Amino acid sequence: MTEVPKIVCDRLRAALPEQAHPGADLLAAFVEQALSATERDGVLQHLALCGDCREVVALSLPAADRVPPQTAPQTADVDGVRTTVSRAGAPAPHKLSFAWPNLRWAALAAGVVVAAAVLLLHPGKLNQATLPSVNPQVATTAPSASGSQIASSSVPSSAPPLSITSSQTDQLAVMAKTDKAQPKSELRLSKKLKAGRVVTPSPQTESGMLLADNMMDSRQTPKRSATPSASAGAFHYDARSSRAATETVGVYGAAAPVTTEPAENALMARNNTAPKDSPAIEKAKPALQEKEVDEQEQKIPAAAVPTPSLQARNVMSAARLASTAKESLAPHVTWAIKAGVLQRSLDSGRSWQEALHADHPLLCYASHDVDVWTGGQAGTLFHSADNGVTWVQVQPSIKARQLGSDITHIELRNIELRNNELYGNLRDDARPAEILLSTSNNEIWSSADDGKTWEKK
Amino acid sequence: MPNPAQSGQGADVEIAAALYERSGAAAYDVSAEQFAAIVDEILRKYLFQNSVQNSAQNSAVNSSHVSAEQKAAFCAELRLEELALARACAAGNERAWQDFINRYRRKLHSMALHITRDGAHAAELADSLFADLYGVNARDGERRSKLVFYTGRGSLEGWLRTVMAQEFINRYRKQKRTVSLEEQTEEGVQFAAAVPAPACSSDKLLESATDEALAELSSEDRFTLASYYLDGRTLAEIARTLGLHESSVSRRLERLATGLRKRILAGLRMQGMSHAQATEALATDVRDIQLNLRSRLTQDSGAKPFPGRKVPAQDAGDGSND
Repeated sequence: MTEVPKIVCDRLRAALPEQAHPGADLLAAFVEQALSATERDGVLQHLALCGDCREVVALSLPAADRVPPQTAPQTADVDGVRTTVSRAGAPAPHKLSFAWPNLRWAALAAGVVVAAAVLLLHPGKLNQATLPSVNPQVATTAPSASGSQIASSSVPSSAPPLSITSSQTDQLAVMAKTDKAQPKSELRLSKKLKAGRVVTPSPQTESGMLLADNMMDSRQTPKRSATPSASAGAFHYDARSSRAATETVGVYGAAAPVTTEPAENALMARNNTAPKDSPAIEKAKPALQEKEVDEQEQKIPAAAVPTPSLQARNVMSAARLASTAKESLAPHVTWAIKAGVLQRSLDSGRSWQEALHADHPLLCYASHDVDVWTGGQAGTLFHSADNGVTWVQVQPSIKARQLGSDITHIELRNIELRNNELYGNLRDDARPAEILLSTSNNEIWSSADDGKTWEKK
Repeated sequence: MPNPAQSGQGADVEIAAALYERSGAAAYDVSAEQFAAIVDEILRKYLFQNSVQNSAQNSAVNSSHVSAEQKAAFCAELRLEELALARACAAGNERAWQDFINRYRRKLHSMALHITRDGAHAAELADSLFADLYGVNARDGERRSKLVFYTGRGSLEGWLRTVMAQEFINRYRKQKRTVSLEEQTEEGVQFAAAVPAPACSSDKLLESATDEALAELSSEDRFTLASYYLDGRTLAEIARTLGLHESSVSRRLERLATGLRKRILAGLRMQGMSHAQATEALATDVRDIQLNLRSRLTQDSGAKPFPGRKVPAQDAGDGSND
């Protein structure tokens, strides 16, 4: 960080506040960002000049938000209080950011990001090895394709076998991991491809998929246009098996002669289903475990075959995974209720998004880790176990008597810590074991099973 | 045709009734009139006061009229239920105290622990604050609870945390004053050097240029500078306080540091210095070379030339050195 001239520090220190110290209520509201712009500016003006109030504000930050000081205590201050107060007697700084639960999530997030990055940067690397040998075949066979079938190119027996380099091995490993998270239908398609049979897409559907693919992966477009068979109006079918690279099939053809079951394929594309009697493409290369794959295939319901653009699906799945993981692993989600609506901020309060708008105005919330509870008028209670991505409405009731009064306060407790009542915070790695609701008619309802059953205290 | 004042009063009554119902103050035996008086007191403290300030700046604003919408918007932001609880506690309502203890007793200890980072001090601080909240100290024969000062602007929990932080700082100061010099010496505290003499005349130009440059900054920028460079706060702490991202604070500090330097240099040049002189004046702060030789010599005299060896006492008349 760029240092400022010493004279700046001296002059900042020499300035004295002209106004009286703001009250605790204003400072608390300032910390909670609950002041109007005018009031906030007034408080900031005072804070800029008053080190004592800055110290109070720093100490008033909520416990989860407070960051332990990193620097050694400074003794050269005006009164020797400000810089040493927060550091005095500190036995050991909290190491929340390096605690195992955070690292565990961080490792998972890093893995997902790496997988997504590899897929985004090198999506077609595996198939590129097969393209030169496949495309010439397509060029010769595509014009003769007619009727309801596409005569797919057959990989010549003289085609050199794929040698998997170490980088490709890495990609395969990453893809295998990604496949675990993908819908099973994609794996099933891969197995179909191993067997050499594949559902032929309609040109309209495929061009749509290609468009979607291009929109998602613009880096890939130049590579495709550079392939000999790629031309305007052409569609490509680029399938990839993550399990066996040697059985990857790439089929390229011109769009014009393809007239395969448009209605059926459109339905297939829309419903993500395949017709049971979909025509088979001739095998590009006999798979080694054809029998085994066929047996597996018989178990696969026909409705599970996905749309053909695997590459697009891979990218989509990875992106979806990454976004989901990013959303669910957001480290600092800040919550607030404004005008009866629960709002969420993923950037420390800089921007807010509406997280939950219930029928009745919400009044309070409590959160721990990714568990969020929010309650409001007329017994409205919602629970989210994924940081507000999805919500489930909970209806507290005791012996068929439903909670109808306003929920004014929610507290999450961990019953494991009852022996240590003094510091009864929830541990970072503990899920809240008890939920306490305070109601407007001064009842306290508690649930120890995530809101399934309730009792009144 | 209804009188505007009467219709305004009617709206006020409606608002007050709605607020009273929302607050649940009835459960604590707080009447609607009492609660309306509390809300009115808060409105007078904040809304009307701000309106007066605004009207001082802008004559177009009439301070005497705060619309019902403004009042409603202000009251909508208040933590009414917590306000009712706090005021009922201050009034000594048993049920309110029971609720307060259920909700906040444990949190108070937790807050105190986070502030003091020490279990014993935390318990002491929390208990002390709890006593203040209850109003142990009677003034003029009347118990005065600190909860009277809660106005519902922020959460009651946040207010308690702030009050506790203030109490902690006051307590720390009080203890700091009573610590003996011997104790401080044993703890290895280095006594602060004497405040340097007033700056010489060449610094006056620098000071005025710096003051002008600082005055041009917004209050938030000055707060950021003071928090980082004076208080040693981390970027994360400042970001949390201002509701920004750490990287935004970092960029702002970079921008402020470079901008301040430029502005001070420009100010110095405006006052007749050449660019080289201004740069030199800013770079070489004369206070850096001001040494308090007396204090240095005093401190040095305590150092032993051979720390590993014990030096025998110089008192020849003692005779007990063996």
